[in-house]
Amino acid sequence: MAASTATMGRRPGPRLASAARRVAGGFAVPLGSVVFAFLVGGLIVAVTGGNPFAAYQGLLCGGLGIACSTTTGENPALQISTTIVFFTPLLMTGIAVALPFRAGLFNIGAEGQLLAGSVACTIIGIKFSNLPAPILLPMVLLGGTLAGAIWAGVPGVLKATIGAHEVVTTIMLNYVAQWLVRYLIVGGPLQAANGFSASSPIGAGARLPLFLPNDPGLIIFGLPAGVYRVHTGLLIGLAALVIFAILLWRTSLGYEIRAVGQSPKAARYGGINVARTIIVTMLIAGAFSGLAGAIQIAGVDHNLTDKYFNDTTGFDAIAVALLGLGSAVGILFASILFGALHAGGSVMQADAGISSSLVQILQALILFSIAANFLRVLRLPAFGRRPSAPAPTAPAAALMTEAAKAPPGETT
Amino acid sequence: MAHSRLKVLGLASVAFMLLAACGGTSGPAAKVYKIGLVTDIGGLNDKSFNHLADVGLEKAKTDFKVQGDVVESKSGDDYVPNLTNFASKKYDLVIGVGFLMQTAVGTVSGQFPTVNFAIIDGAGTDANFNDLKHPNVQSLFFKEQDAGAMVGALAGLLEKQGKSKKPAHVISAVGGISIPPVNHYIAGYKWAATMEDPGIKVLIGYSNDFTDPAKCKNVAANQIASKADILFQVAGGCGLGVLQAAGQAGVYSVGVDADQKDADPSVIASALKKVDVATYTAIQNVVNGKFQGGALTFSIANDGAGYAIDNLTVPADIQAALDDLKAKIKAGTLTPPADIPA
Repeated sequence: MAASTATMGRRPGPRLASAARRVAGGFAVPLGSVVFAFLVGGLIVAVTGGNPFAAYQGLLCGGLGIACSTTTGENPALQISTTIVFFTPLLMTGIAVALPFRAGLFNIGAEGQLLAGSVACTIIGIKFSNLPAPILLPMVLLGGTLAGAIWAGVPGVLKATIGAHEVVTTIMLNYVAQWLVRYLIVGGPLQAANGFSASSPIGAGARLPLFLPNDPGLIIFGLPAGVYRVHTGLLIGLAALVIFAILLWRTSLGYEIRAVGQSPKAARYGGINVARTIIVTMLIAGAFSGLAGAIQIAGVDHNLTDKYFNDTTGFDAIAVALLGLGSAVGILFASILFGALHAGGSVMQADAGISSSLVQILQALILFSIAANFLRVLRLPAFGRRPSAPAPTAPAAALMTEAAKAPPGETT
Repeated sequence: MAHSRLKVLGLASVAFMLLAACGGTSGPAAKVYKIGLVTDIGGLNDKSFNHLADVGLEKAKTDFKVQGDVVESKSGDDYVPNLTNFASKKYDLVIGVGFLMQTAVGTVSGQFPTVNFAIIDGAGTDANFNDLKHPNVQSLFFKEQDAGAMVGALAGLLEKQGKSKKPAHVISAVGGISIPPVNHYIAGYKWAATMEDPGIKVLIGYSNDFTDPAKCKNVAANQIASKADILFQVAGGCGLGVLQAAGQAGVYSVGVDADQKDADPSVIASALKKVDVATYTAIQNVVNGKFQGGALTFSIANDGAGYAIDNLTVPADIQAALDDLKAKIKAGTLTPPADIPA
């Protein structure tokens, strides 16, 4: 079944050159929007009296550890590790937005699903804190995954049965999750007995191992190893991307998801259970987001704190999914970009004196240019696209057009 | 022959000058101290702690040879990386603003034992908020009861002289959560008000929240219904609801932490934690080589706590009484209690 449907999605293999052109054309819009954002951002810095080159040098150094000024003494390895810590949850929440997008669903609730995963991970990690890691670690990760799936499954069921719009329901469930976290750790059952708005730490067995041991005596790249906080959640995030790509392009479920996204009516006519597909899509999306939340607790924070009141990972994920055109490779690159912007903003402010709010401006400009889609000229024939291909008219349409294409792996 | 000798002399003199020039630059150059300030998620424009910390840093920059760099934290995720970034660059002092950063300061100060840290209103703690007592961490605490006493005395005097809006010898305080810093404020407030107006009734309520103004508004409304006409908010962002409720009911209110004059016209005074003084002092200590771990407490005695008169013209006799009280607290003849008096 899986093999046959995959074949159904396959078109006669195009030549290598035209494939390369198409890939270039596909990435032209996201790349163009990033370039556009940086140009306008640089203009804003210059107009407000700053030096855009110093600003972007700070961003590059802080985000990717390259082009660091010799006078400020940034440690490139430290910056790269910070960027990795920041982009790891974006990989999974990005999938949580992109997968429903393929089915024509807007999952704005990745944040709520992430929080549900964090809460479940924390509760299990505290309740069973004495269990050894081989048992407890899978428990907290699975618990978080399950909680996220349930949190997204509710809007999925509501959409499939009574047609409640998933945008509204997922947004509302974000608020429910945020206030649930607030209740739990401010005067609620999870608050640790010290008056601060935080839970107790999870057990040692519930924590994801770091790549480098937190040993004060071990010096790596001139700094104690403990400052590099990269944890094994990165591997889980990368595995999630592979699973996402396989699910979407190599399974019958992935075919059904894409078919429903293109035209629910045609999909139904073709014998696909649309309601079931919607529910399953949302369950899987929520599972990825919940896993991201569990990984944040198990890998970085080790307890539920008030920082989760105003966490924005699930909202950044929407931009990541859009910028990454809903593909696994795209999500990877978009996540790295957003993680690097996040980490770079601080260094830019410390070294160049440019407010790190510039990062938010850049992110908004990227989203703006994708949403307004005025860069679609980049996809016109001049860029090597076949003239017969219709230019997409909206970001959603752009994704759907992507969805209609053959999987990237099959073109070469 | 003479010509070439001249040449040699010329070369020698040039070489000598070069040597002298080098000697000049390799002398003991004054050290520029590098100070890193990390704000909490409130950002620099919070009109409160972060802003005041930056004011202290700017003042230090004009007074000492100091390079001051600021980073605003956009989320709780940023605390550890931002502190680590400054520490990894061997800054002479890394300042964290606010107790939200306690665990982050505890973690990073352990990784960089040779870098000095200071934290406003907190300590370097583990995940359970136990003070790790790292010798390179200085806690900058405040005697909130000093500031509370000043506004409490003002409230008591206004009630005693019948100069409040609806004088009935009843005032009140709205606390966020019943934790030590909040109760210190209320303790000083009640102590001083009772001292100035012995028959006064001080109502105390808690909203159990620091962020939602609606919750504090509820508590304030109940207190106003019980005839309170001067309300002291000790609940951060939640407490803005107290100021609004007082304004709508036509009674007085008192702000907290920073000068809240502009928050509502009903604000007659604010109890102040002078975070700028604390930040400046911490930097000064580093520059003078006097930095040491442990707690540094700011009070009226070292001008680290105080009050501001806001939307009110204070009668001369009341002002004189306030000045007298302040002098006595400063001299140590009167000491506001840390625990709320019965």
